[in-house]
Amino acid sequence: MNSVALDARSIRARLGFAEVLHGIELSLPAARWTSIVGPNGAGKSTLLKVLAGLLHHQGEVRLLGRPPASLSGRARARQLSWLGQNQATADDLTAYDVAMLGRLPHQPWLGSPSAADRAAVEQALRATQAWDWRGRALGQLSGGERQRVLLARALAVQAQVLLMDEPLANLDPPHQADWLLLVRELVAAGKTVVSVLHEISLALQADEMVVMAQGRVTHQGRCSEAATHRALEQVFDHRIVVQPLSGRWVALPKL
Amino acid sequence: MPSVGADMSVAMTASMTDVTHQHRLAWVLGLGLLLLSAALAVIGAGVGSTGFESAWRAWSDPVAWQIVWDIRLPRTLGAWMAGALLGLAGAVAQGLFRNPLADPYLLGSASGASLGVAAALALFGVSPVATQWLVRLGLTGAAFVGAVAAVLLTLLLARGVQHTLRLLLAGVIVGVVLGAVHSLVTLLAPEILQAMQAFMLGSTGFVGWTACLLMAAVWLVCMVVAWMLSRVLDGLALGEATAHSLGLPLAPLRAALVAVLALATGTAVAQTGLIAFVGLAAPHLVRSVVKTTHGRLIFLSCLMGAVLLMTADMLARWLIAPQELPVGVLTAVLGGSYLLWLMHRRTGRSRML
Amino acid sequence: MNKLLAVLLVLWAALPSRALQVTDDRGVAVSFAQAPQRIVTLLPSLTETVCELGQCQRLVGVDRYSNWPASVRALPQLGGGLDPNVEGIVALKPDVVLLAQSSRVIGRLEALGLKVVVVEPKTHADVQRVLAKVGQLLDVPDAQRVWRVIDAGVSAAAQSLPARVKNTRVYFEVNRAPYGAGESSFIGETLTRLGVKNIIPAALGPFPKLNPEFVVRANPDVIMVGDRNYQGMEQRPGWAGIRAVRDRRICVFKPEQSDVLVRPGPRMAEAARIMAQCLVDTAGDKAP
Repeated sequence: MNSVALDARSIRARLGFAEVLHGIELSLPAARWTSIVGPNGAGKSTLLKVLAGLLHHQGEVRLLGRPPASLSGRARARQLSWLGQNQATADDLTAYDVAMLGRLPHQPWLGSPSAADRAAVEQALRATQAWDWRGRALGQLSGGERQRVLLARALAVQAQVLLMDEPLANLDPPHQADWLLLVRELVAAGKTVVSVLHEISLALQADEMVVMAQGRVTHQGRCSEAATHRALEQVFDHRIVVQPLSGRWVALPKL
Repeated sequence: MPSVGADMSVAMTASMTDVTHQHRLAWVLGLGLLLLSAALAVIGAGVGSTGFESAWRAWSDPVAWQIVWDIRLPRTLGAWMAGALLGLAGAVAQGLFRNPLADPYLLGSASGASLGVAAALALFGVSPVATQWLVRLGLTGAAFVGAVAAVLLTLLLARGVQHTLRLLLAGVIVGVVLGAVHSLVTLLAPEILQAMQAFMLGSTGFVGWTACLLMAAVWLVCMVVAWMLSRVLDGLALGEATAHSLGLPLAPLRAALVAVLALATGTAVAQTGLIAFVGLAAPHLVRSVVKTTHGRLIFLSCLMGAVLLMTADMLARWLIAPQELPVGVLTAVLGGSYLLWLMHRRTGRSRML
Repeated sequence: MNKLLAVLLVLWAALPSRALQVTDDRGVAVSFAQAPQRIVTLLPSLTETVCELGQCQRLVGVDRYSNWPASVRALPQLGGGLDPNVEGIVALKPDVVLLAQSSRVIGRLEALGLKVVVVEPKTHADVQRVLAKVGQLLDVPDAQRVWRVIDAGVSAAAQSLPARVKNTRVYFEVNRAPYGAGESSFIGETLTRLGVKNIIPAALGPFPKLNPEFVVRANPDVIMVGDRNYQGMEQRPGWAGIRAVRDRRICVFKPEQSDVLVRPGPRMAEAARIMAQCLVDTAGDKAP
């Protein structure tokens, strides 16, 4: 098994007329949880989209060691699951149906969901505590509940690599903690998780951290290292301070 | 239907755990609509300029038999087929553009069909070559060609199906421009105005058995293709980027869906004229009863559209017999009032604007 | 003496000073110092009326749909009834503008100082009335005679029909929706005068939009239709069984003939002749 899940070389990407990513070189380790942090407009979401293969870019992204063109869309979708930020929501579908959409890369064109599909969806919905109201339409759920259903959708793919952009939007602290534990379980099972989080304290619980500013990667390192903490403080103009608390690292605003 | 909706909401709060509840609901709705269609078909065979007596006397009187078999039955079934085509097109359009206000005429097909018919009516008799072609094509052919040509023009203007917003804008532009050309044609040849109005408001008046069979064939093809591609519509409901990340090849499949939309709309419009509201209202009416994925939604939308149009057609033939109301007026009144009532009920319950 | 002079003055002032006053269809009384010499018409039947009264030379402008007699086509065309060219009308400095009630420029033209007379023939009786009114307006003394000639023409057409044609049941299709011409329409009145029966009763109105089934049920002997609307008629579901279609007793009119038939106006004698000719022709073609 390759120890690098995602390998990005000389990535340049533009949104409209402006170049957003200027020559990114990145190697994301497998079976680890990496969190990408940075100030607003640093290009984090763009980078995630490029890594997921959803945006035109210059440069090369290798998924699990394979060159990008070697995989068909569906094969790639089976290996990589992407959860976007502020995407459209299907208000008229039930939570179960939305989670089942995560199984699309596994299902043949014509055919009803198999037992494996149903098992995967049940597992994903239970993992995000959405199983109890799986028959409700998305339009009738609160923001947090909807987010959990979308998370379940991303989990149902059972992909090797999970890219999540602001997965904790609208989630309350108990569910944020649940998500943390879930990610730890996935990593223990050998999956790779990459998340863009703006809750810095939660991001600091990851294994690796990538610090970005203005379309460039300024630092990549383990979350427990002091160098990472200093890079983090610097990228936020020293408005935050990273402190240890009960054996964990937290980021507090400097007042 | 209203009591089913009320019962359903109570049932949902009680058994939110049961997903098969929605599936069962979908089956119930489907069967209900089919039964309703059959009942309406029987009534439709009896409704017309002379009422039910034609149906009773059909065995003895050859003229009455001819009226029932040659005229009323194909009209009724034609209304079913056209309604089904429009319902299908409406569901596909709403899924493709993720817009609840989308209707089958979104890509300019309505203006294109009107222009085709206007040009055919105006050019008839003007030159022998044109007349020859027009006789072969007929008005239905002209309407179909016009509708499809307008959609192709929209695709050309939007340079492909990739950008939804560009496609929508191009559709609006093509609709407006072709509508203007159509107005110009009617200005230059005002004698076609009354016939044009009849076309614009829709009528199943001249639908015969061949037209029925043609619509049935097109409907089968479109239904199969749309059902196969329903996953794309489901994926698109989550946003284009998510759909892409799920491995759906969006570009060719979207093009196929647009083709289905154009074919279904063109066929329906060619046979029965421009009938408003059926394509818009049918998917909404289905969604107000059951929440389901696009595979079932499209089929149920067909059935709902068919029932809607059949009812409207029967009323159009019956209300001022032996004269006839344009069916487009009645579909707007029926579909519109139901949606209005639905909206009123929803805002009443949630107490929000 | 002064009193006598005053009386004479009053009498002189009260003498008919060749002033014309016409009450148009709106009930508005329009007065003229003398009979108008420059006339603009915005309705084809009014153009025909003016020319029928022998005053074609007084026309200075017509609408784009006026096409009879041929000489009016050389006149300046001022748009249609619904979209007339106001500037063009004013530029011609007409003494009077004749148009229909449905025209939208009446107020505008009057505001610009032009004299507007609203008349529109819709029925047979209207044609006589309009002829009289326009005759009065143009100071034509023998308008009644013109009407009598027209009326006699219609009667002659009716009398020219052989007896076996008298009870033919006729369906006149005005448009392919299908709109038929009922008994109370202008065409219907002509058919009645010719002595044939209309399958559409007066109760349905002048131009009802029919259920095609109604025509099949009524089973007319003769169908009259313009060639623009005729195409595809035999393929309409159920129509192949209609007597008129089976016996091929369908009169298909060319556009010029359609014009004469559909337009209510002074050419109604010619319309009656065309229809009579149609009836005679199709009666002769009756297959044994």
